Amino acid sequence: MEFEGPSQSFVDEIIIAENVHKWFGEFEALRGVDLRVKPGEVIVILGPSGSGKSTFIRCLNRLEEHQEGRIIMDGIELSHDIRNIQEVRREVGMVFQQFNLFPHLTVLENITLAPINVRKWTRDHAEELAMKWLTRVGIPEQAHKYPGQLSGGQQQRVAMARTLTMQPKILLFDEPTSALDPEMIKEVLDVMRDLARSGYTIIAVTHEMGFAREVADRIIFMDAGKIVEENTPENFYNNPKEERTKLFLNQILQH
Amino acid sequence: MTTNEELTTPKAIGRGFNWQLFLQDNLTGSWMQTVTVLLLAIITGSYVYGKYEELPIVTAVVVALWILGIVSIIVSEIFHKPTAVSRWLKQNLLTSFANSLLTLFVVLVLVSAVNGIWQWSYVNANFNPAETAPEFRSANGATWGVLWGARKLLMTGWLEPIHSWRVWLGLGFILIMWLFTYITSRPALKEKLRVARMVLNGFWLLSPVVLYILLAGISEGAYNVTGTITGVAVLGAIYALLWSQKVIPFSWGSIIGTVVAWPLLYTIWWFIGNSGQFPPIDPDKWGGLLLTLIIASSVIVLAFPLGMILALARRSEVFGVPAWLIWPVAVAATLWGFTTTPELLATSRNLVEQIMSFWPVIILAIAYMIHRVFNGNIVAGVGTTFIELIRSVPLITLLFMGIVMAPFFSGEGVSIPKPWLVIVGYTLFSSAYMAEAIRGGLQAIPKGQYEASDALGFNGSQKMRFIILPQALRIVIPAIVGQFIGAFKSSSLVSIVGLFDFLGINRSIVSNPAWLGLRLELYVFMAIIYFTGSFLMSSYSRKLEVQLGLGDR
Repeated sequence: MEFEGPSQSFVDEIIIAENVHKWFGEFEALRGVDLRVKPGEVIVILGPSGSGKSTFIRCLNRLEEHQEGRIIMDGIELSHDIRNIQEVRREVGMVFQQFNLFPHLTVLENITLAPINVRKWTRDHAEELAMKWLTRVGIPEQAHKYPGQLSGGQQQRVAMARTLTMQPKILLFDEPTSALDPEMIKEVLDVMRDLARSGYTIIAVTHEMGFAREVADRIIFMDAGKIVEENTPENFYNNPKEERTKLFLNQILQH
Repeated sequence: MTTNEELTTPKAIGRGFNWQLFLQDNLTGSWMQTVTVLLLAIITGSYVYGKYEELPIVTAVVVALWILGIVSIIVSEIFHKPTAVSRWLKQNLLTSFANSLLTLFVVLVLVSAVNGIWQWSYVNANFNPAETAPEFRSANGATWGVLWGARKLLMTGWLEPIHSWRVWLGLGFILIMWLFTYITSRPALKEKLRVARMVLNGFWLLSPVVLYILLAGISEGAYNVTGTITGVAVLGAIYALLWSQKVIPFSWGSIIGTVVAWPLLYTIWWFIGNSGQFPPIDPDKWGGLLLTLIIASSVIVLAFPLGMILALARRSEVFGVPAWLIWPVAVAATLWGFTTTPELLATSRNLVEQIMSFWPVIILAIAYMIHRVFNGNIVAGVGTTFIELIRSVPLITLLFMGIVMAPFFSGEGVSIPKPWLVIVGYTLFSSAYMAEAIRGGLQAIPKGQYEASDALGFNGSQKMRFIILPQALRIVIPAIVGQFIGAFKSSSLVSIVGLFDFLGINRSIVSNPAWLGLRLELYVFMAIIYFTGSFLMSSYSRKLEVQLGLGDR
């Protein structure tokens, strides 16, 4: 079966984050994060909990508001202008740790609601594309069930189909496998690998070391609201530059 | 069968009857138990003795059945062969010594109560509507004739009989609409009759207008041209606003529909008014069940959307008025206000009036509240203040406010009929509570649902319409239906402010010489009507919950 990849982007750097700061009250969650991503790059962000990695990618589609610095997504700067935010959100898909499917709608309705109402597609077109993506993530037979009737892995795959049917250029993964039972992680990772190879620009926060090593173009290690190390997967695991990275790798590889 | 029975019977345990355990379980477990059983035995015994004189055969049958039940249990226990009947009896009625006595006692009470009601309501009752005067009444029987004799008052109050057909027409209209809605919402027909259902929904939207024409009528008059133009302008402005906010897409059909709607409907309205078929009825003549239903349904229909708006307003996070705008405006207004102070001070007669002449301080207080408590968010401020004010006042106060104070606010010579005032006051009251119930539902929606809809690019109103409200409203169905039932029953409070609703009309019926003092019959009838209405509503809500519960997590 043929699949469309992401739609073409006409900018050199699809994500530009410059000196991004973010405070939660007194607590400074991000202390000047800089990141530049080219179209089609796959980036994995690693780091201990509380290091600001989730906060950072949630700033990229303005689920959180950054207070200092600049974020430019696909040529549009995120500011207070609500129209800019809406435009960016149309092009940036996000997959959440807790799936966040809409429990009162069937799987198909979950997927087609945004394309019909935000992209203003016809129902037929939206449903056709939705079924295509459901087939690609391997669960077309579940289209008319409700999310509550599916397993965790299936729900996360529906969430991915929902995001992808909107035809985003950029995908943000916020620990998509952390809430899953171990035997369901593989089915979700398989889909993520598939997407990484078909040209999407991906930023993933995950603890799946195998996935990071296999598909990432770059690995970014964050701690205490800053990027500590930026490296290729090869060098990151075998030859890390920073002491903090070594300590982190020791801790997670030991158990 | 036999093998099956052997497996289920407790034969395998093979333990004989243990008197010591039996006594301990049933009588001597504690001194409280002994006393309870003794007391129960004495009460039951004396009740059996008392009832035996009144209803000898029935009492004997009850006691005999009771003994038979106990014997059947004992026999089945001894032979380890419980039948379905004996098992049910043992589990439900005769579990222990005390429970067996209680069963006997309750059955006897029920028997005598049912017998009493039967005697009063049927055997000794008089059903003839012509024989309701005191000399025809029996000492211990009902005089049901009053219900038929006073049926006009009970149902429609002082509505002139020539208008009765309009009430019947309204009732028929609602019933037919219900019937069609019921048929078209059958699962088998739901998809096929999509168009029919849309037409029906349109009729439901128009039904308040239809009922208004039927029950309140339209007065004749000249064609109101300015009003029509204003209506078109307002609808057009709303259309433009919605379109500019991208809530609705532009299409020639919809814009023509919007522009034509008002003149078309007004012309129909005007023609109906001038046809003279539906002359105005004075709402103050409504009464009885009609008034109760009008008040209850108006309140239900109006309070729900108003409550929803209030709940959303209270939770709104729209970008508020910034402090640099609030304070200069407030200070300027205060300074301007203080220019009136010297005059007020000069004319003040006592300390209270002297203090009151410094009223501009209140502007500063309000500015402070908007700034600090609501972070400059006026929408949330107004919503919260309204809800809290209304909730801190009893309903009766609001009704009195409506009745007593409204004439001061309305212009000279304009008198608004009482039912409208009561409906307004009651709607405000009910909507505040509705808003809090709906807010509860909104708060129960996980944050992830908001985030997911934001991430997919929905705008604020789409997010509410498609994702948040459908889930929130389902959660609050029980609370909302509770409000509806409350509105139906508490509408009887309007009798305090001088309206004669279903309950209040009682007073005038029983003061009629023919029906003097026939309260009990009327109250029984009203209890049945109120129960039926409330029960229908609550059972419908349960059905609705099951229907909507399909996608529960």
